[in-house]
Amino acid sequence: MNESIATPYVDPALYDVVYSWYHDDLAFYVDLAKASRGPVLEVACGTGRILLPTAAAGVDIDGIDLEPAMIARLKAKAEAVPLKVRVSVADMRDFTMPRRYALITIPFRAFMHLPTTEDQIQALRCIREHLEPEGSLVLNLFYPNHAYIAEHRDQRLPEREFAHPVTGRPVSLWSTQRYDIVRQTLESDREVIETGEGGGNTTHQYRFTLRWVYRFEMELLLRAAGFTRWDVRGGFDGRSLEHPHDEMVWTAWKG
Amino acid sequence: MERLSVKRAPERDESEMSAAPSSVSTSATLMPSGEPLLSPYEAPDLYDLLFESFVFDVPYWMNVGKTANGPVLDVACGTGRILLRLLEAGVDVDGVDAFPLMLEQLRKKAQARGLEARVYQADMRDFTMPRRYDRAICAFNAFAHCETTDEQIQALLCIREHLEPGGALVLHMSYPSLSLWTDPSGEPVLELRSTHPINGNTLELWDTRYKNIVGQCQRSQMEVRELDAAGNLVDSQRFETTQRWIYRHELELLLRHAGFTRWDIRGGFENEPLERDDQQMLVWAWRD
Repeated sequence: MNESIATPYVDPALYDVVYSWYHDDLAFYVDLAKASRGPVLEVACGTGRILLPTAAAGVDIDGIDLEPAMIARLKAKAEAVPLKVRVSVADMRDFTMPRRYALITIPFRAFMHLPTTEDQIQALRCIREHLEPEGSLVLNLFYPNHAYIAEHRDQRLPEREFAHPVTGRPVSLWSTQRYDIVRQTLESDREVIETGEGGGNTTHQYRFTLRWVYRFEMELLLRAAGFTRWDVRGGFDGRSLEHPHDEMVWTAWKG
Repeated sequence: MERLSVKRAPERDESEMSAAPSSVSTSATLMPSGEPLLSPYEAPDLYDLLFESFVFDVPYWMNVGKTANGPVLDVACGTGRILLRLLEAGVDVDGVDAFPLMLEQLRKKAQARGLEARVYQADMRDFTMPRRYDRAICAFNAFAHCETTDEQIQALLCIREHLEPGGALVLHMSYPSLSLWTDPSGEPVLELRSTHPINGNTLELWDTRYKNIVGQCQRSQMEVRELDAAGNLVDSQRFETTQRWIYRHELELLLRHAGFTRWDIRGGFENEPLERDDQQMLVWAWRD
């Protein structure tokens, strides 16, 4: 293990290449924001993969993210459009915004960056305080798939092959996932292999750790943060949560 | 008695099962339809034939009981596998259990040993005892019979109310391992084999498990088969039960919701740290 490997969030340009192919959640979050009857806050908005199209659709949306580099890239992308955005650097566990929101979202499993139960409860409490009385929180998390973990743990596996969004040349993404079942953590080492102009390869590496949450555990977290009403679905299409390979899509209402 | 490890068939799709809303028992969705079977706790004779000789956890509970600075409550005491041993060791122990036939069996056994057992039929989610305890114990995965989050919190609240200040709940739950969920659903597995103490026949416990991974729920259909020396089936009894499994961080949240502020979760009867999913959770939660 190389301890010097960085998180994906210190190199936002690389981040945008790596996730350039991912759109599964985009329509869901943009439509949700468009249907909102008041202002929207996106927590962990990153480089604006969802926030920018949402703002472009005319939604009154603010964004926060922990990483200054990600926010800087988001702003640069907005300026290039040009699009006016209100985004700032803030920690989802402890932030203060001047207004309250009808909808707060945490897309793309960003809630799983919170390492402890205390962190999770603090974030949910802080978010709940920023909701209007009728407001709701929407977030998605993967359900820990035990069969998948048993089969794939500790192996270096190809994750995705795709065309570079700028050069069009092939990029391959590899991952090695280490799981601590009892701690409920997944440490993922990623390699991004870009094919150069002359055919030579450039490899970038990054690492992140996610703490997963089980279904009933999430209900207890919401309850601990003061929520009294919630719903979980098994995907962005609204199907019921039934299988360990489903994506948990949670909605929690302030009142 | 011999614990058997049985080779299992490859994994099967769980797609026929569905998760139920969180506050509703998941058990109804798990089983093939048909007449509901008896609970194993309605057949205490057979229960004792299978489990009375289990001693893997006895030294642990003897130590918990003997080191208590006041009375002990055994929650889900069953036929007294632990409670009667504590009584014999002079521990001031009361017991509650939801199943009257289990308690009847416990009292019979106590009488035969010249012991006076104070045990009461009560649901662990809602009971009232006249005194408070220095330790409340809940052994052998009994807490897995609370099937919903609300039931779990109710039971913990009720137990906590029965603790003296400084008293502790000591709870044993197996950690739900990867293999619990990835082993096949719906196929009989030979769980244990023992010898009938009276007639010398072989007793086999076959367990067919239906699992709802997202619901953290396991429905077991058990068949106890009695075989004579020639291997002929002379008796067969069938039961069913449901267990709702709990993960570590979830358990901590449950304790918090029930008003506990201090706890320690160990990984086994030797107080080893909890690090692997094939370990046992031994939970101490104190009422401060």
